[in-house]
Amino acid sequence: MTATAMTTAMLEPLLAPLREEFFLRALAAVILGGVTCASLGAYVVLRRMAFVSTALTHSILPGIVGALLLGLSPYAGALAAALLTAGGTAWLASRRGTSEDSAIGVMLSVMFAAGIALMQQARSWRDFGGLLFGSVVSVGPEDLLVIGLTAAGVLLSLRALHKELELASFDEEYARLLGARPGLLRAVLLALVALGAVACVRLVGALLTTALFVIPAATGVLLGRTLARVMAWGAAVAVLGGIAGLYLSYHVPSVPSGAGIVLCCALPYLLARLFAPRR
Amino acid sequence: MNARLAQAWSGLHGSILGLLPTIPYAPPETATTGPALRAEGLAAAARPDGPVAFTDVAFEIPTGCRTALVGPNGSGKSTLLRVIAGLTPARAGRIEVLGRPPGLGRRRVAYLAQRPALTPDFPVTLRRLVQMGKYAHHGWFDECDHGDADVDQALRLLELTGLADRPVHALSGGQLQRGLLARATVQRAELLLLDEPYAALDAASRAIVERFLDERPAGLTVVMATHDPADARRSDRVLELRDGRLRLLHDCDGHDHRHA
Repeated sequence: MTATAMTTAMLEPLLAPLREEFFLRALAAVILGGVTCASLGAYVVLRRMAFVSTALTHSILPGIVGALLLGLSPYAGALAAALLTAGGTAWLASRRGTSEDSAIGVMLSVMFAAGIALMQQARSWRDFGGLLFGSVVSVGPEDLLVIGLTAAGVLLSLRALHKELELASFDEEYARLLGARPGLLRAVLLALVALGAVACVRLVGALLTTALFVIPAATGVLLGRTLARVMAWGAAVAVLGGIAGLYLSYHVPSVPSGAGIVLCCALPYLLARLFAPRR
Repeated sequence: MNARLAQAWSGLHGSILGLLPTIPYAPPETATTGPALRAEGLAAAARPDGPVAFTDVAFEIPTGCRTALVGPNGSGKSTLLRVIAGLTPARAGRIEVLGRPPGLGRRRVAYLAQRPALTPDFPVTLRRLVQMGKYAHHGWFDECDHGDADVDQALRLLELTGLADRPVHALSGGQLQRGLLARATVQRAELLLLDEPYAALDAASRAIVERFLDERPAGLTVVMATHDPADARRSDRVLELRDGRLRLLHDCDGHDHRHA
């Protein structure tokens, strides 16, 4: 066997999936979704909003199921449910006697329970497996378009509001003093997280989407000294973890793609946790 | 390669942001001709549902004056500074800060809390913290990476040049206070509100801050909450907040009002 043939044989496990159209679409989806979630995740992690991002990602369940039952777009249903959760949380937290933590807990539980009740109406749990746990290999051209447009919208918004979001996240009082409206910026950030969650639900499912916000960004926080570098490290981890997870799922079919992606993103986090220099 | 990539990236940013209108954070402000601060019948509480810290407070502070605000713990000094900054609403009365009501977005007011409420472990270097002072003169969607000469100068003034690239969370309390003063300098603040600025400072840092205040620009008005009689002596005017009332102890003209 020649050296070229040996190299080709060795690379075959990497090259074979690239000949499949569904795998290429899945690859594009994890790259776009990963960069979007990791960039948003930097704010989620640094502002200690992991719980609210969990609520938003779980709450899209009734929106998608309800939309499917009514024959509407699942993305529209998911976005409506996420925005309802964000609005409901803000309203409950503004009432005296309810902390934001409790408000998030209430909305998360109520929305998820509503999702389960709606799934029971559909009388078929199997249809919703991809929704709960992700099914990136079934991403179609239309899904990819939605993910791409959402990614572009979220990333452009983050870029346009970078200095305001950084200021309000780091020093809320100074932002208020200058008139930069930190409350409005928090609402914008929640809406962007809702959009990101909707875009990524096909990748890893409603139950695991929060992992894409938290794990890559938490790795970035361990490695980056500026917000831009935290985002860059997070995006790199999300993209590489996403690609590795897809290959893992392709070659070991018993590992679902969503679980594979999350596990492959968790490995760099663990390594960074163990070996990153203390800052 | 890196430089070329950075240039392309920066060009992309410029063209994206160039499409968006620049909207100021706060309405434009005109130059003040009257006193820097004027208040009548002012009452406020530290928390929205808390008891009133002071009532019927009236004062007038001329532009450029250095004022010490003294009084026992819990007398409401911090609350008064926050009302002036527009961060805490007044319960009653009227206050004008640089000729306008507070709370509308104050590009000309800088406020240094006793314990700055910064998000812990946020990845911001000291240089970036000082750069944030520039935001006061920009607005939504506006990029403000137009050279750092003023940032470098402010860092030099507060003797922080060697620490510029250090993360903010790795700074000592004194270094952070000096960094926040450097930010106020870059902001070109005309009113500086300091809440116990020396509380976390060692002797060296204190000397730097004292020199900064002694050599401040002519138009910069300073109001400083303090417990230290030495600060009161270095000030043009001393106000005492005690039992919910404000009293003038010492005036800019050197007149002692304690026995008036």
